[in-house]
Amino acid sequence: MNLTDREILELNELCNAVVDETLTDAQRARLTTWLAASEPARQYYVRALGQSASLHSYASEMHAEAPHGVPASRRRLPAAVIWFGGSLAAAAGLTIVFWFATRTSGPEPATARPAAFVARLSAAKGTKWADPAPLRPGDLLRKGQHLDLATGYAEITFDSGARVVLEGPSSLVINSAWDSTLRHGTLKASVPPQAVGFRVANPSVEVTDLGTEFTMIADASGATEVLVLKGEVEAAPRSPADSETILLRENESRRFGATGVSDVPDSAVKFAQFTQPLALDRFSPGINCVHWSFDEIKGNEVPASADSTTRDRAGAALKIGNADEPAAMRTPSPHGEALRFDGRIQASARVPGISGSSPRTIAFWVKVPEGAVTDAWMVSWGTGLKKLNSRPVQISWNRRPGEGSFGALRTDFGGGYAIGANDLRDGRWHHIVVFFAPGDTPDTPVQVKQYIDGRLESSRITLTPGTPRPASSSTVAPPASDMVWLGCRLTGKQPERFRGEIDELFIADRGLEPLEIVSLMNDNRLPVAGLAVATLPPAPAGR
Amino acid sequence: MGSPAELTPDNQKRLMALMTRHQRQIFAYIYTLVPRRHDAEDLLQETSLVICEKFSEFAPGTDFVAWACQIAYWRIRYSRQKFARSKVVFDQTVLDAVAQTAGTMMTELDERHEALGHCLQKLPGRDRELVLTRYEPGCGVEEAARRSGRSLDAAYKALMRIRKLLFDCVSHQLAPGGSA
Repeated sequence: MNLTDREILELNELCNAVVDETLTDAQRARLTTWLAASEPARQYYVRALGQSASLHSYASEMHAEAPHGVPASRRRLPAAVIWFGGSLAAAAGLTIVFWFATRTSGPEPATARPAAFVARLSAAKGTKWADPAPLRPGDLLRKGQHLDLATGYAEITFDSGARVVLEGPSSLVINSAWDSTLRHGTLKASVPPQAVGFRVANPSVEVTDLGTEFTMIADASGATEVLVLKGEVEAAPRSPADSETILLRENESRRFGATGVSDVPDSAVKFAQFTQPLALDRFSPGINCVHWSFDEIKGNEVPASADSTTRDRAGAALKIGNADEPAAMRTPSPHGEALRFDGRIQASARVPGISGSSPRTIAFWVKVPEGAVTDAWMVSWGTGLKKLNSRPVQISWNRRPGEGSFGALRTDFGGGYAIGANDLRDGRWHHIVVFFAPGDTPDTPVQVKQYIDGRLESSRITLTPGTPRPASSSTVAPPASDMVWLGCRLTGKQPERFRGEIDELFIADRGLEPLEIVSLMNDNRLPVAGLAVATLPPAPAGR
Repeated sequence: MGSPAELTPDNQKRLMALMTRHQRQIFAYIYTLVPRRHDAEDLLQETSLVICEKFSEFAPGTDFVAWACQIAYWRIRYSRQKFARSKVVFDQTVLDAVAQTAGTMMTELDERHEALGHCLQKLPGRDRELVLTRYEPGCGVEEAARRSGRSLDAAYKALMRIRKLLFDCVSHQLAPGGSA
């Protein structure tokens, strides 16, 4: 017998009370009676509680950007298997990490740790930092880092793509790629579409950007003014006197104080100030980039074009293997021609230095068949790095639902893997960018960032520390040979391939800025450096 | 009974693969019977150790999740004393009935988990933030209320609304002809 709507509502309320631990004795008695007597009620209860278990898992994934490492004290335990529970399990999305202790002697391999760099100081002008160790344009910024700017202007580009220009004196805390806290001072935030949802908060107000430009001024009294220059924001006051969320549109402003929400004095003057252009000294690192468009093919070779701001370097041709007629494996795509992988062919090219410790960005378009269940391996390259256990880096879609969302973008490396959230298997073209930086030293954290269609994914990074393993006998190439492979797995006993289409493959020798990623996606090329100009009012005389 | 250290390398690999793949399902099973996160996590860890000890008894090719959940069930029974003070623990009869029902729904729960990921993406950003904060490690309803600028009462009501939205969205996706 099915549950009636009224019964469902009551059961839903009881299940919520169970989950939130607010169940009264009367409710407990009611639920107990119900569950004892009704199978449909039990099924509803199991689904509702199962949903909460899943939400614990998803929430942990979203907030597990930097799981802890293996406690040193546990590494000496003789037991073959160690499970990590408690806070680590919580932080790592309830992942239970198995670590089979080696019985061989010798030093343990270094454990690759994911980094918590979530932003970069991208431009500055006349900056003087309160911190004795001043920041310089180009410096990476960590999750939780406090920026105390005494004077001048500093632009922070978050990995989400949001850009914040701080005007000194100001203090900002970097909470994540999507979140910051303005402790005091003035900022202007520019949030492109791919970073919608970026948030700036402080004790007065929490501003969630809905795709816009806005300014926040947090004064010494504890009040904060929010002025929307373009688009709209959602502003949630934190005052007990006035807690209703407000939608602020272009040219609207509010002041959020302890006594409630009010108009901004001299708002017209402030709007005029904050729309004045301000030229900043922008950090523009050089880049070497090799690009295969797949629009041409000569025999079994796809020629490369090199795009370098530092030196001229010809890119190596990509050689197609296991194809009877390589030219026939090309197929029309939105950018001309793509290479079609049929679960059999593979392609490879030499990219000098990719097996080393320098950071790399891999960008390409991919189309994965809807409902694909096998052949997930898109791009791989070998490494000879001890900290990565000499294991390759491999970009695929996730085939292991127990480890993360099935079909989501996945990057495996020696010591761990990162898994995104969105299923790629929908038969549509998606723009993929994976930034991978193994780090120069054993102690330098490994960084993995994954972008899909220009948007940073909330990638869950799971550590799987273990012993070094040699590449398998089926490995198609020596692991560290500066070779990049398309469409095949470099590990495992069985050869596994890729089914789908790949187009416009770029490999760059540094991390790309979010703006560069969007430019690659939209224009199929990197932007000309230094075009962007931030706007903030010129500092008043005497400041 | 084999100790963990006695597992062969092949068995170690198999166990690692199975647990890595299925630990979330085992946690979900435990959580339906002991719906407090920390208690459920403790039980998951205890269960994991027993699984390791008994893994040599597991017959390859049979249902690992069902086998693991059976171990979890007995750990829960064994630990009932520990949870006796909790208001949300049912008597043994109800516990057995719910355990039996949950045991037959593990595949469905796994499908619902995947569908839930899609439904979370469809939530308005503010709702998604609230619900994920509520379930974030170390957080609860109070913290979610504080961060979202809601009163505690408003947060409870919003969470109930959002959970129902998600429940219905998941059910819709999994229904024949749904958008899963």
